[in-house]
Amino acid sequence: MLLVVLSLLLLTAYFGEAPNGRLHAVQRDFLTVVSPIQDGANKALKPVRNLFGWIDNTVHAKKQRDELLKQVDKLRGELVSSQSEKRSYHELLGLYHLDDQLSIRDYHPVTATVVGKSPNIWYATVDIDQGESAGVHVNDPVINGEGLVGKVALATSDGAEVSLITDSTMGVSARLGTTNATGIVQPKLGDPNDLLLQYLPANTVANPGEYVVTSGTVASPDDSLYPPGILIGQVTSVNEESAYESVNVRPTANLHNLDVVQVLTAAQGTMPANLSHLVVSLPVGQGPGASGSSGEALASTGAG
Amino acid sequence: MTPGSAPSFGLLVRIAVLAVVVVFVQIGVVSEVPLFGVSVDISPLLVVFVGLLCGSTVGALTGFAVGLLVDLTLVQTLGVTSLIFTLIGYWSGRLRELRDPQAALTPLLVGAAGTAAALVGYSLMEFLLGVDAPVSLELVRQIVIGILLGTMVALPMWVIVRRSLVGALPEDPRRRRRRAYTTGGLSPLSRP
Repeated sequence: MLLVVLSLLLLTAYFGEAPNGRLHAVQRDFLTVVSPIQDGANKALKPVRNLFGWIDNTVHAKKQRDELLKQVDKLRGELVSSQSEKRSYHELLGLYHLDDQLSIRDYHPVTATVVGKSPNIWYATVDIDQGESAGVHVNDPVINGEGLVGKVALATSDGAEVSLITDSTMGVSARLGTTNATGIVQPKLGDPNDLLLQYLPANTVANPGEYVVTSGTVASPDDSLYPPGILIGQVTSVNEESAYESVNVRPTANLHNLDVVQVLTAAQGTMPANLSHLVVSLPVGQGPGASGSSGEALASTGAG
Repeated sequence: MTPGSAPSFGLLVRIAVLAVVVVFVQIGVVSEVPLFGVSVDISPLLVVFVGLLCGSTVGALTGFAVGLLVDLTLVQTLGVTSLIFTLIGYWSGRLRELRDPQAALTPLLVGAAGTAAALVGYSLMEFLLGVDAPVSLELVRQIVIGILLGTMVALPMWVIVRRSLVGALPEDPRRRRRRAYTTGGLSPLSRP
């Protein structure tokens, strides 16, 4: 009975306090202590994990190969038309002096290894082995070679906790690849292979297979400024159940099997960092959540 | 161990070491090997089996400690896992104290029930605390698969937990008496 009461007290106090409260600080300190242990355990247990990963990969290899062959055929056709479009695009950018875009390198990516993962279906989080000492901060976007992975939820000196895009706390400003229609990508709890791109403008036409990328804007002052154009997923179907215009999106990053990720730290003094601070410092009402606001314009322009 | 008797220091140390190892193996390896899109959770199995071997007090204590360790390590809402694990640890301990099930399939059934209680308990707690994102019906499928996977690993986990603790477990008088009857040593009927 005493332990149940203690648990309830902990729960109430934790739930009610601010993110910089005492219990959150204890949790951060604990993570600081266990990060090196987790890192060591991860290295020691890596062969076991690789063995299971190898079995899983072998089982799915044939199916994946067939799918990829189909994709290669489709993409080869798209590449030809994209190349001519790209040439025209660069000519236009040069014409209007807009060709000083930022690349991922400008965001000072820090490579990190995933050392732990939550088994709980309600918490889609992973632990990484890089923290504040490597320049990682809370809200930094996290990507891998396949697309957007999530953002840093908590950072300690030698480690950090990353909320995946399938975590219930996440919301990412996104746009459909071929149109300018923007919305918010949210997870569908209980289904890690499905995201929901919501709040699209009315009459938006979305086709299955279409890519969804980050829009380079933020939805709230404390949100993360994801660089624009990072792949989030592919449209699988139009959602008829939702009251708003929305589509179902399958994430391109394999969130079940994360090994190495990159944290976009946008170090102090860089253009992305300055733009992030500028957006965050905008007063409520002028924030980028408002359509066509100065914050959105700045973020979009600055990030390319 | 009977209700009221204090657990030995050696037993508590063994449980503490086992809990730390299980939580780190869970986070570092088991969670990263999804089966049918769901990760097996071995930490509730550890709690129910400690309860089944050591009784309600040790079960509840282990549940609270393991839950706290999980919440702290994974930066989850403090108290949620502790609350659920305390209850399932206590429940499995009471099962031993009241019924003392000896069937070979007991660990399997207790493991399945413990996993189910943990998964359903998490979901209830999260709904009570408020969920901002839309919830998919896939959640039900994930819970069912989670229970099946928990049941599958229940027996190996039972063997690991029992072997790790068996040397430090005190003799239960009721069990000793029953064993004595079955071997014929102390039964009044076997006396000349």
